[in-house]
Amino acid sequence: MLEISIFFILAAFMLGGSIAMITNKQTLFSAFGFLVAMIGLAGMFALLESRFLALAQIMVSVGAVVVLSMLTILTINAKEENLPKEPHKYKWIFFTSVLVLPFTFLLYKTLTLLPQSFSTMETITSKVVGKALFSEWVLPFEIISILLLSAMVGAIVIARKEIVKKEEHS
Amino acid sequence: MTPNMFFLLTSLLFSIGLVGLVSRRNLFVVYMSVELMLSSINLLLATLSKILGDASGSVIALLMIAVIAAEAALFLAMIIHLYRAKKSVDSDSFTALKGVKVHD
Amino acid sequence: MISFIVLLPFLSAALMSVVYLSNTNTKHYAFYTTVGIGAPVLSTLLSFMTGYELLSGSDTVRSTLFEWVNIGDFNISVAFMADRLSVVMLSFITLIGTLIHIYAAGYMKDDPAYGKFFSYFNLFMGSMLLLVLADNPIMMFIGWELVGLCSYLLIGFYHKESANISAANKAFILNRIGDFGFIMGISLLFVSLEGSGFTFETIETNIHLIDHDTLSLIGLLLFVGAMGKSAQIPLYVWLPDAMAGPTPVSALIHAATMVTAGVYMVARYSFLYVEIPDIGLFIASIGAGSALFAAIIASYQNDIKKILAYSTMSQLGYMFIAVGLGAYGSGIFHVFTHAFFKALLFMGAGAVIIALHHEQNIFKMGGLKRELKLVYITMFIATLAISGIPPFAGFFSKDAILVAAFASEHYFIWGVGSLTAMLTAFYMFRLLFTVFHAEASEIKKLHALPKSMTYPLVFLAFGSATAGFLGLNAAYGGSSWINNFLALPESELHLAHSTEYMLGALNVLLAFLGMGLAYKMFAKNMREVQADTFMKKLVINKFYIDEIYAFFALKPLLVLSRFIANVIDPKIFDGFINLSVLGYTRAAFLFAKLQNSKVRYYALYILAGISAISYYMLFKLGVLS
Repeated sequence: MLEISIFFILAAFMLGGSIAMITNKQTLFSAFGFLVAMIGLAGMFALLESRFLALAQIMVSVGAVVVLSMLTILTINAKEENLPKEPHKYKWIFFTSVLVLPFTFLLYKTLTLLPQSFSTMETITSKVVGKALFSEWVLPFEIISILLLSAMVGAIVIARKEIVKKEEHS
Repeated sequence: MTPNMFFLLTSLLFSIGLVGLVSRRNLFVVYMSVELMLSSINLLLATLSKILGDASGSVIALLMIAVIAAEAALFLAMIIHLYRAKKSVDSDSFTALKGVKVHD
Repeated sequence: MISFIVLLPFLSAALMSVVYLSNTNTKHYAFYTTVGIGAPVLSTLLSFMTGYELLSGSDTVRSTLFEWVNIGDFNISVAFMADRLSVVMLSFITLIGTLIHIYAAGYMKDDPAYGKFFSYFNLFMGSMLLLVLADNPIMMFIGWELVGLCSYLLIGFYHKESANISAANKAFILNRIGDFGFIMGISLLFVSLEGSGFTFETIETNIHLIDHDTLSLIGLLLFVGAMGKSAQIPLYVWLPDAMAGPTPVSALIHAATMVTAGVYMVARYSFLYVEIPDIGLFIASIGAGSALFAAIIASYQNDIKKILAYSTMSQLGYMFIAVGLGAYGSGIFHVFTHAFFKALLFMGAGAVIIALHHEQNIFKMGGLKRELKLVYITMFIATLAISGIPPFAGFFSKDAILVAAFASEHYFIWGVGSLTAMLTAFYMFRLLFTVFHAEASEIKKLHALPKSMTYPLVFLAFGSATAGFLGLNAAYGGSSWINNFLALPESELHLAHSTEYMLGALNVLLAFLGMGLAYKMFAKNMREVQADTFMKKLVINKFYIDEIYAFFALKPLLVLSRFIANVIDPKIFDGFINLSVLGYTRAAFLFAKLQNSKVRYYALYILAGISAISYYMLFKLGVLS
């Protein structure tokens, strides 16, 4: 009973947050909606006995990603009149949601083919995760580290100041 | 609390992300919709992990979060770069592919 | 060997046309004359050789060139057959054709398109010979069409005047209308025979396979073709206008040979027409009607060539009376004699026209019997022949026809024929008297006539005088040689010799009556006939038939054509095509607008595709419950 009510509350957060994210005109408010959705997701992870994952979600996805995107939004600092004018925003959203409906339905129906019951298990703590990471999942772990490195370098290269670029072009 | 509820939630989140991706012009919203889609898959992985009683799903979700972080860095760098070029975060203002002249 | 009879004129026509087309300015007068006359001369020699072969008792001569069409039951080979009927036709076609070629060499001497003329002329000879020597109906039809084409080409020879072109068109179009019936007849014949061969021989042996009604229809349709080709009612209106061509053309095509093709056709299909005597009676009635009609009109015409044209139509009517009533041999005999004196008449008229510097109205001529003595004498002989005065050729052939009509108890046709005989004598002597006897209103200086124009006249006069003796029937002491030679089905009629003598005497009496009437009216002082009374007006205007045709047939056709050309074609057909083109380009624009360089839209298209696939998977493939 408790679980279900917690689930519904968290679900409401997630859905509300995501809908707010896609319908808001101002960028920062969308970011806030996204933040709420991510936190709700973290709660979901905890509900699903993935304690470490919930923590990682908060640390990375909320703490790094959302903060970084808010930082970027504020750096850009677009005035309200410079934001993209979207006159037919709601029409587009409505039309797209109609299109997306069969896909959603298909996805849901396919997923229901999976086993329908939760098995009882103990919480996935950091100990369990650590064990798995360094035994079974060591290769993806290493590759992820390389990926993060390349992403970092790539981000720096892409976001360099233009002055340097202009010199290169001439 | 059956897995079906989680599956429904996953599908809904994914669809919402898809809608946002296609219909919004603001690049930030596009970025966040992509993140949302990826996160919904994370949720699915966690659910599967619980169903099967295996920790692997959780681990994969963890690795996914790392990927999300990397992707976030790149995406935002690109937005900054594009903003410097066009002084706008409107995806419709990037019309370099426009080469088709419509004859009468 | 007989294939050369047909091939030589075609080859010479091709040769001359090539030479003519390569340079139209230089006049290779000698070349064209030798080649142009040489080919008919050779054909004449070969025809006489073939004729001699058949006379000495051998059977039909055949010659096959190659097999042409071979589709299932439909086997046509390009083959020639010279049986007795063909040989009789060949003899006078090639002989008179050669004479007219010689005449034309003199007549067309000063014309710049001399080579073209002889090329067309030889083409015509070849086509006519093909028609006569054909082994099967399809070959005959090819010759039939080709002579129609040559008629068109030669009538419109003076193509700088648009009236001549209209006349040529008229001839061709009316011919075509007849050919429509002819083609239907041949097709029906082929279909009814059900694949048992399609040469004249095999048709003759298998004719009993076809039931009577189909045979009547076939005979009628074939006669429709003859109506067009041989200028009978109602498809005759082209013949007077065809006189716009040069006179040798009128002499050869529209007097001696092409117009007789219809009669030849009925005689060739005699095995068919004996089975359907009702159609034969119809043919004879049309012939009688045309004969009388033409004779009435000819009596009031002024143009010398038009008088002769109507006279041809009238004599053709006689021939059709004969073949319609089953006297095929007599019909062919009249074709034979008619060729001689009609060609002579036309050639003489041509000589008169040239002498008077292209004057064609007989009331402006007169008193020429002193200056053009040779022409006068030969034309006098020809006029006596055509009027049916013994012992000239026309008497015997015409008499045979009228006797056949009387003996088969079609007295009405006999009466019409006799009346026409009187009118024939009347208008022919009218022509002779006004041109040669009566005093001219003004004396003109005559143009000299080349010898090539006058010598053939003599030859033909001799023929007109004597050819009749080939067909003397028993009553007059002969043995009907030509009828026996032809061996065509003849109706078994016997009249007492006394009746025959009476009928013959009646013919001669009527002829003299006509001659006397003409003498009284025209020999001393001629006056052009004025259109004062209603009847005269009607006749002089040829019973307004041309106008009636124009009103009832041409006008609706023109209205329909204009409607289709101005309304249906641009609005409906063009409009339809334009609409599809326009629709296509508009659709293309719409599709081009989809590529608007905004990636978001492309993502939308991908989403649309995913949606469609999901929809399909869900509901059509039954992924869900």
